[in-house]
Amino acid sequence: MLTMNVTNQKRDGNEMIEIQNVTKRFQDKKLSITALNHVSFTVHAGEIVGLLGENGAGKTTLLRSIATLLTPTEGQIVVKGYDTVKKPDEIKKRMGVLFGGETGLYNRMTARENLEYFAALYHLSKHETKVRIDELTKMFGMRDFLDRKVDGFSKGMRQKMAIARAIIHDPEIILFDEPTTGLDITASNVFRQLVQELKTQGKTIIFSSHIMEEVDMLCDHIAMIHKGELIYHGEKEALYEEENSRDLNYIFMSKLVRGTDGYAI
Amino acid sequence: MLFKIYKKEMIDSFRDKRTLLLTVLLPILMMSALTFFYESLISDGEDETYTLAVEEDISAEQETILGTLDKVELLRAENPEQAFIDGEVQAAIVFADNFDAEVQAGEAGNVELIGDTFSQKSSNLIYLVSGELAEYEQIVVAERLQQANIDPSITQAVAVEQRETNTEDSNIQVLALLIPLILSIAIGVGAAPSAADIFAGEKEKKTMEALLMTPVNRSTLLMAKYLTISSVGVIIGIITLAVVAIEIAFFTEHLKAAISFGDNMVAIIGMGALVTLVYSFFVGALLMITSIVGKTVKEAQSYSTPIMMVLIFPMMMISGLGVNEFTMNHFILPFVNIFAILTELLFGVVNYGHIFMTIGSNLVCIIIIFIISRILFSKDKWVMN
Repeated sequence: MLTMNVTNQKRDGNEMIEIQNVTKRFQDKKLSITALNHVSFTVHAGEIVGLLGENGAGKTTLLRSIATLLTPTEGQIVVKGYDTVKKPDEIKKRMGVLFGGETGLYNRMTARENLEYFAALYHLSKHETKVRIDELTKMFGMRDFLDRKVDGFSKGMRQKMAIARAIIHDPEIILFDEPTTGLDITASNVFRQLVQELKTQGKTIIFSSHIMEEVDMLCDHIAMIHKGELIYHGEKEALYEEENSRDLNYIFMSKLVRGTDGYAI
Repeated sequence: MLFKIYKKEMIDSFRDKRTLLLTVLLPILMMSALTFFYESLISDGEDETYTLAVEEDISAEQETILGTLDKVELLRAENPEQAFIDGEVQAAIVFADNFDAEVQAGEAGNVELIGDTFSQKSSNLIYLVSGELAEYEQIVVAERLQQANIDPSITQAVAVEQRETNTEDSNIQVLALLIPLILSIAIGVGAAPSAADIFAGEKEKKTMEALLMTPVNRSTLLMAKYLTISSVGVIIGIITLAVVAIEIAFFTEHLKAAISFGDNMVAIIGMGALVTLVYSFFVGALLMITSIVGKTVKEAQSYSTPIMMVLIFPMMMISGLGVNEFTMNHFILPFVNIFAILTELLFGVVNYGHIFMTIGSNLVCIIIIFIISRILFSKDKWVMN
């Protein structure tokens, strides 16, 4: 188990997301499931972090906890100085989220209506909304379908719209949970180009993925989770050097076999 | 912010063609059918003509007994009972061979009346023929008494004078059942699809997470969605009532004749609208909680089905009661009070105490349900699948 007492770590003032000894347990009538077990790591401003793990490893729970949608059972998550439990609204203003292949769009509304609605929810003025929609339309090439109902959109169009919806308020932090799941090659490439674009804008991004090539291409930091425990967090290049390999798939599998402390799990 | 979310939810609710069909068209069709059914129930037998099978060799005296029935046509048949069994007539009558002679001789003439009380038409015809036979019997008895030098009035031991305190058209009772029933079903059936879509649908489509990621207070979200469900209920209730009112005014005779609000018309319509509004909000709150608990639209609809049944159940409880028999409990009990208060109003009674009790009881329920909904809406388990 890889845990670090973040509060005791040397701080450089550039911390964007601080995950401090976070545990999340889901309690059913008879069953208690520990989805996250004392997870700690820090993401700095401008970093693109790839969150790797098998299905059920705890990636989505971690992202939902960072997004203030879930309350940690133990520990604390601080985003840009704000506690996710105490000041969720301050975090929501600064964060855009896109979960697991779901677009979060209203099918009976047009693309523009969807964007205008979410802009209003993020308290953007009419003028700010117009400017932002123009920017995103240009950025994602959405002019042709901006005034069409989302219901008839292709997967690629939906994905562009979903990202535009998630970042309508121009957030500093963006969370993507398996954003290319179910997308074809073209739509996946669209997403990757968009992340590259967001990277150049200095956004802090965490995205979970099963696709190692995607993580290798887009991320500068890697976090690996296995059975709710963090088994690695660090720079991608440092990981390659440490493992003496650039095959992320191989590294991930060998990490799973060795576990956090070098012992087989 | 509340208005922005409310506006979007309303637009979204009425844009869905399937929801629109279920929300608007279905209640209107159901209620129209119910209106015409009640109208036909009231007028049943009034303009109806019947055919009665009699024996081919029926005597002139016997024919005279039945001849006074202007709605009844006689069909001479070799076997009247068979004619009835074959469905050619609604009832059959067979006079005993020596009927006329026995009556003449001062004895009882036997008559066999054949019919089926499960059939409304057959029942009506038997009732008419029995009445005629009873009248004939009275005449014969009077004649026999006179022949024996006895005053026929001696047979009347008790003179009953029935005085009706209710001056309303008797069909108002039907309307008193019909209107609350129409309202309950229309509001319930109309608001249910929107309610299911607004919470459970958002969870199913995962738009709820996107919504919860915005810095909008959950209470604001809940209130906007609740107002949407209730507004849909109010709109459907008003549309359905308007359609039914038009149908009653232009396409019915008996139901139309039963409506007479007199001097209290403004107060009755105003109070009726007010309790309908509050009732829609009460039903909206119940439907909201089923949608919050449901993980999918289908699940939410399953939970709302028992509510629909509970909505119409009180009709059976109060259908046999007169307005003077209503107690305080009828106006305090949720579900029952809407039927009780609308019945009172339709009978022209405007009792502000009862109206206050009905509205107060519904408001208390709404507040309790809203608090429970708010608690549920703050829990991860109920907000996300």
